Amino acid sequence: MFDRDIWQEIFNTIKKNKLRTFLTGFSVGWAIFILVMLLASVNGMQNGFYSQFNDDATNSIFIRPGTTSEAYAGFEAGRRIQFENADVEFIKQSFPKDFVEISARYYANTTARYKMETGAYSVQAVHPDHQVIEKTLVISGRFINEADQINKAKVAVIGRKVAEDLFKKEDPLGQFVEFNGLPFKVIGVFTDEGDDNAERRIYAPISTYQRIYGNTNDVNAILLTYNPNYDLTKALEFSEKLETIMKRRHKVAPEDQSGLFVWNYAEAFDDISSFTAVLKAIGIGVGFLILIAGIVGIGNIMVFTIKERTKEIGIRKALGARPNQIVNLVLLESIFITALSGFIGLLFAWLILSLVGPTINTPAFTNPNVSGSTVITSTIVLIIAGVLAGLIPALKASNVKPIVALRDK
Amino acid sequence: MIEIKDLHKSYKMGSNSLHVLKGINFNVEEGELVAIMGSSGSGKSTLLNILGMLDGADSGEYHLDGVPIKDLNEKKAAQYRNKFLGFVFQSFNLINYKSAMENVALPLYYQKVGRKERQDKALNYLDRVGLKEWATHLPSELSGGQKQRVAIARAMAAEPKVLLADEPTGALDSKTSYEVMDLIQKINDEGNTILVVTHEEDIAHMCKRIVHLKDGVIVEDKKIEQVRAQEYV
Repeated sequence: MFDRDIWQEIFNTIKKNKLRTFLTGFSVGWAIFILVMLLASVNGMQNGFYSQFNDDATNSIFIRPGTTSEAYAGFEAGRRIQFENADVEFIKQSFPKDFVEISARYYANTTARYKMETGAYSVQAVHPDHQVIEKTLVISGRFINEADQINKAKVAVIGRKVAEDLFKKEDPLGQFVEFNGLPFKVIGVFTDEGDDNAERRIYAPISTYQRIYGNTNDVNAILLTYNPNYDLTKALEFSEKLETIMKRRHKVAPEDQSGLFVWNYAEAFDDISSFTAVLKAIGIGVGFLILIAGIVGIGNIMVFTIKERTKEIGIRKALGARPNQIVNLVLLESIFITALSGFIGLLFAWLILSLVGPTINTPAFTNPNVSGSTVITSTIVLIIAGVLAGLIPALKASNVKPIVALRDK
Repeated sequence: MIEIKDLHKSYKMGSNSLHVLKGINFNVEEGELVAIMGSSGSGKSTLLNILGMLDGADSGEYHLDGVPIKDLNEKKAAQYRNKFLGFVFQSFNLINYKSAMENVALPLYYQKVGRKERQDKALNYLDRVGLKEWATHLPSELSGGQKQRVAIARAMAAEPKVLLADEPTGALDSKTSYEVMDLIQKINDEGNTILVVTHEEDIAHMCKRIVHLKDGVIVEDKKIEQVRAQEYV
């Protein structure tokens, strides 16, 4: 295989038919290029989707009240459902084994002021568990804790953008910022990759906000995470049970779709995974179909090469070449052309992806790239393709009868 | 060296069968220089192809150096050809992208001789046909006579038992023909067994024995007084 003579022959035939070799090689290179680009695009889509949901723990459930659309249990349709602190306690007591973290959320808007700077921001008043559920990254200071919650402390965790807007270059930790005229102490700054809007948000203890702004027990939404070991069926079972019980508690008809909403992220993830899996399969399928065209091209060129070299093969056989030596020669040439052109296609695709890929960062399409396994798979595919392309011509060559090949007429 | 008994061969031509060799009996001793003569269609090329294991006989026996040549598969035939036979063709059949030396070294490659040794041997044989200084030239840079001498060197390089030459001078003018025959005679003088297929009387008379073929049978087999090609060169 690493015989100099064999390579000399392969290079010689390639050299003699530069254009033809280039054109056929191009078809294989192009096929691999498209295959890799397709796979990378699917990858990019997947990355995009996942980064959309990356904000939240994947085993989280989000419950939000709505407005009933059906009359039920003596109530008319169109009733607004309102969650309260008691709902959180109720869930805690009903599913002690299922939930891991739980937090209510209370929405408010505020005008924040520090020295001369002011800005309007949205506030999410939450429980300490919220940090884990939303995967909030605190870059300095700390998140709200249980003590803040019990003491109804006037503390706030502000987004990075909020800190930039209000404090400029000052360190916001420990400073007091006025929310609608009331002083809150900044105890932490958080960041959120890829989502600037999230960084314009402020977190505060829910007890504080319920007391100060309205003095209610109202809750706008409940978030919780469940046992991460649950598989999809178990997770869905749990969220269904949760939905049934919450609907019963708030007298919402079981089949009412708008009374309250239970949103399980596992569902979305499952949908996305199967969606991208289908896309990937389509990508691979299309890529392979194109590759087949390339393989046929290489097979074609090899048939021609052998036709031209019939006499030479006859001479070799007369001089004592065994049939398998002829097969090897043709196969190796085919593999060589296929692999080389395929690698060039792969290299081009990789080059373009590594130059352009990282700059693409839209919600639905993020950093299209190829993994090492794709490269290895393509290489194996190429070598197999080379063998397939060369096989028929090689067998044909080994069947050349020297007596026929050497006939002078 | 060669023993042939009652050799038959026929070719299918559509629905007809063409009986080309109709019972050939023929022996060649070591060191002989035999000319096989006959007009076209007499079966002389077919006989040579069978002798060269490029074609199989329908019936009959063929022993080469005591080895029965029968029912060979491709692999075995290739091995025997490589070990026993050297071929010289009318149209030289050199590989045109290989230099003279590489052409001569090719049968040695199939004998799995190492690269260095191959080159040394090839150069040695090129020297013996007087073409050492042409070793790096491609066949296209050589004259017809030179090409045939390279082909003879190639046939000899594997040190075969028998050298089979099919119209070796057929594509050459008479002067170069005699040069080639001179070379063949010299190789024969060293004790090599050589069979030459030809239809030229003067070439045949430069051998030591003439076998006449006509319509698939041997009509004449006689030893002759060898004419040395040297006299005409």
